[in-house]
Amino acid sequence: MKLRRASSVAELEGAGRSLLLAGGTEVVPLLRAGILEADELIDVRSVVPRGIEGATIGAGTTLAEIESSAEVPDALREACRLAASPQLRNAGSLAGNLLQSTRCWYWRLNWPCRLHGGDTCFARDGEHREHAVFANRFCASAHPSDAAAALLSLDATLQTDRRKLPVGELYRVPTEDDRRTTTLEPGELVLSVELPAVERSVYLKAMERKRWAFPLVGVAAARVGGSTRIALAGMAPVPWLLDARSLDGATPLPGNAYKLEIATALVKRALAQLDA
Amino acid sequence: MARLIRTEKEIEGRYEEVWIVVEEDVLEQWPPGPLDVVGRPAPRGDGLERARGKAVYTADLRLNGMLHAAVLRSPHAHARVRRIDLAPALAVPGVHAAIGPADLDLLVDECGYEGAPVAAVCADTLERARAGIAAIDVEFEVLEPLLDSDDAVLRGSLLGEPRLRQRGDVERGLAEADAVLSAEFRTSVVLHNSLETHQAIVQWVGDSVDVHISTQFIWGVRDAVARGLDLPPDKVRVVCNYMGGGFGSKNGPDDYTFIAAELAKRTGRPVKCALTRREEHLAAGNRNATIQRLTVGAKEDGTLTALRGEYVNAVGWGGWSSPTEGPMHLLYSCPNVSSTTFPAKLNQPPMKAFRAPGFVEGTFGLESLLDELAAKLGIDPLELRRRNHSRLDPGDDRPFSDKNLLECYRRAEPHWERRHEVRARSTDVVKRGVGMASQIWYGGGGPPSYAWVRVGSDGRATVVTAMQDIGTGTKTAMAQIAAEELGIPLDHVTVSAGDSARGPYASISAGSSTTPSMGPAVRAAAADARRQIEEIAEQRGDPDMPLGEVVALLEDGQVLGKGARGPNPTGMQVLTFGVQVAEVAVDVETGEIWVERVAAVHDVGRVINPLGASSQIEGGIIQGIGHTLSEERLHDPSSGAILTTSFDSYRLPTIADVPEIVSELVDVPDPNLTNLGSKGLGEPPIVPTAAAIANAIRDATGAEVRRLPITREEMLRALREAEERQRESERREAPARI
Repeated sequence: MKLRRASSVAELEGAGRSLLLAGGTEVVPLLRAGILEADELIDVRSVVPRGIEGATIGAGTTLAEIESSAEVPDALREACRLAASPQLRNAGSLAGNLLQSTRCWYWRLNWPCRLHGGDTCFARDGEHREHAVFANRFCASAHPSDAAAALLSLDATLQTDRRKLPVGELYRVPTEDDRRTTTLEPGELVLSVELPAVERSVYLKAMERKRWAFPLVGVAAARVGGSTRIALAGMAPVPWLLDARSLDGATPLPGNAYKLEIATALVKRALAQLDA
Repeated sequence: MARLIRTEKEIEGRYEEVWIVVEEDVLEQWPPGPLDVVGRPAPRGDGLERARGKAVYTADLRLNGMLHAAVLRSPHAHARVRRIDLAPALAVPGVHAAIGPADLDLLVDECGYEGAPVAAVCADTLERARAGIAAIDVEFEVLEPLLDSDDAVLRGSLLGEPRLRQRGDVERGLAEADAVLSAEFRTSVVLHNSLETHQAIVQWVGDSVDVHISTQFIWGVRDAVARGLDLPPDKVRVVCNYMGGGFGSKNGPDDYTFIAAELAKRTGRPVKCALTRREEHLAAGNRNATIQRLTVGAKEDGTLTALRGEYVNAVGWGGWSSPTEGPMHLLYSCPNVSSTTFPAKLNQPPMKAFRAPGFVEGTFGLESLLDELAAKLGIDPLELRRRNHSRLDPGDDRPFSDKNLLECYRRAEPHWERRHEVRARSTDVVKRGVGMASQIWYGGGGPPSYAWVRVGSDGRATVVTAMQDIGTGTKTAMAQIAAEELGIPLDHVTVSAGDSARGPYASISAGSSTTPSMGPAVRAAAADARRQIEEIAEQRGDPDMPLGEVVALLEDGQVLGKGARGPNPTGMQVLTFGVQVAEVAVDVETGEIWVERVAAVHDVGRVINPLGASSQIEGGIIQGIGHTLSEERLHDPSSGAILTTSFDSYRLPTIADVPEIVSELVDVPDPNLTNLGSKGLGEPPIVPTAAAIANAIRDATGAEVRRLPITREEMLRALREAEERQRESERREAPARI
């Protein structure tokens, strides 16, 4: 396998079976596990903007840089601070974090599940204690990104090399016809994230240990332009925006209803913190 | 004079009779308390080497011409190899040899667990060996797995006869009780997760074989490899200079050593076979799950009248049935005790000894039940334990060689007293509480073990013994003992260990036995050297002549001392004791648990190195916190496939999960045990941690957590159940309104 360092977006065209790589904290383990395959890796760190300028965050900014920036709204900063370990946050980029795959153990072990194109969700009838409680009929995988939930609550906009889109539109719930969880086109590159004026925001996270774990439940809440938005991590196959602050509509499986109890408490606390 | 004697030897609760040669051990124990070197904190002699990455572990070794092996392991919990063709593997560039079920007994075509070894390949590089494995043409017939341990017991799928143990008459004891309480406890599979994965490099040298291996028992590996390869034991040399953790999972040679040996024989090259981190989650052993159905009966004053237990050890496809019932039979002076322990054979990876096997699990059940009893009777939990303290081994009335459990309880009092203040800091949402649990376990060590001490004309000494230091600081402790006995500074002593060709037989480093087994031999060897030096001084007409001046006369001459570990005291039970007090906080809305403080008081006889001892206590408690709160190997309920094979899904505690740990040691030499009076401390600290935390959670919330690990889900379930119980009792107590 070759590693190429790209210096412009133009160089990425026709990359074919190449894989784009920034921090590598997600791509490298997936390559090792045989879930991703590539003839060539292209390091895009010289192509993707890095750094925070006002309300614009370069997609190549590391989680560690975001975590320590006073300019960033609380929900995003806290989501980055509570993600992974210091070493991983020093390496991992914001866009990489948004585009990471589920931690579903069946998917990570490369079982022929629906997300891998198969015809079974093994988690639904199997071990699903950490899986999705929303939109889980077809695939019960849970989206693990803390930062994605934060950006969704903040109503952020993404700029790619081809278009501008609300962060919510980056994601799609996988279906029979299309198993992808994002709407990115092949070779499309996320360049930056733009935030609206945020009055107040918060991110709360429940994990099975104190640090360095993916969210069982992540709750991001933000007051943006007079309205309150709540988004969840670890609760659906994609970052999940709550309608009307309500957890109604959840379809928990026998082994993960407890996640709703946690979410109920964290949503209540997040709203209280916005009001405080 | 040398004598051949028959003595009882105990390792992790399993006894065997052994013949040993002992010399008269005329050494008096040292007086209690810190001495010049022994009993004083000593940083590890090899700490800097390890921290700087200069220590060469088995994993670091690269022998000339060395090939790398990879293993094809069953991807199914239960399967039969229908067809296997190794030829495509041999066609992969760089592959030197491939072996399958027809070539080596331990490579199987009937696979009882995911991870069972089927075939192996060696190649110039690990990548090529893996490519060879991928090329093997193999077809499995998947069979129905047996995964439920109760089901296994019903169907008679057992790895041996159920173990029945009893004293007195439990039915009578229950009839005499004022209060009877029954509960079911469950513990889950947890993994050792040694930092250095299981591995060996085997090299044939003529008709002898060199085995470099990450092991807890150099001599056990030597004997097992000799048996397996049909060689005289002295044709097998075993080397382990530095070791990256074992926790009971590296007591023998295992499949990787024999695979490396066979491939090395076929290729004439040294072969390394190392488990990957993912293989560690499958094929490196585990602490098996248990089900414990327990009943206790007691008088109103708390006096125990009966204890009964039905234990199911979910052993897996192989392994042994650990003494989960042990604490029930040993801890309290209850006259009527009976237990049945079933060793369930399942299509799951085999268990291995794991830091106080059985007692960690059994103490969680028993000590949780005792706290539930204390609550029911309205007796202070610490007082309840004092009332049932046993002066003699409650099983056979043998005296203990020494027992300072009551002293541990006394020293725990200030920590226990904090519970009022801790509880008072509770809020509506975050409840705080304190819990305790007692510890009982073995740890007396035993013979045989030998050491030599060499003193040169420079006044420096070398301890020579073919023991291993598994990362616990054994070499430092042995150097302290030799320095103390010789009356020289600690930095004048070097310890040469880790090689069966360089020194005499030494103990296994398991069962908390290294210090109590090796220490007395090292002291005896140093004393033998000292005696010779004193004799020379006397002959020179100056009995008070300092050691340095005597040995300065030697030039190239050396004083050689030898020492042996004597037997354990006849007719006495040698055990370790202790108590831990845990403080926790529980968020009753989200089920989050914080362990805020653990105070540990243990009685392990004389402490050689207080710094090493506190490290052991901290390590045991941290590993115990993982077992209690976050670690669990999960499998798919229908296929039995292991789902947690990496560290993001199998959750070890991080430093953020570690509470304040206060460790205290009674530090009184056991007057009946060897010339040192020291017992081991490797295992005791992990024994009571789970129960102490579970009891603190009950104290904080009223919730009965009877299943490990206490995940968010389990905590919330127990809280809901407690609320329902509370509502139910309020309904019953409320006067009926008409």
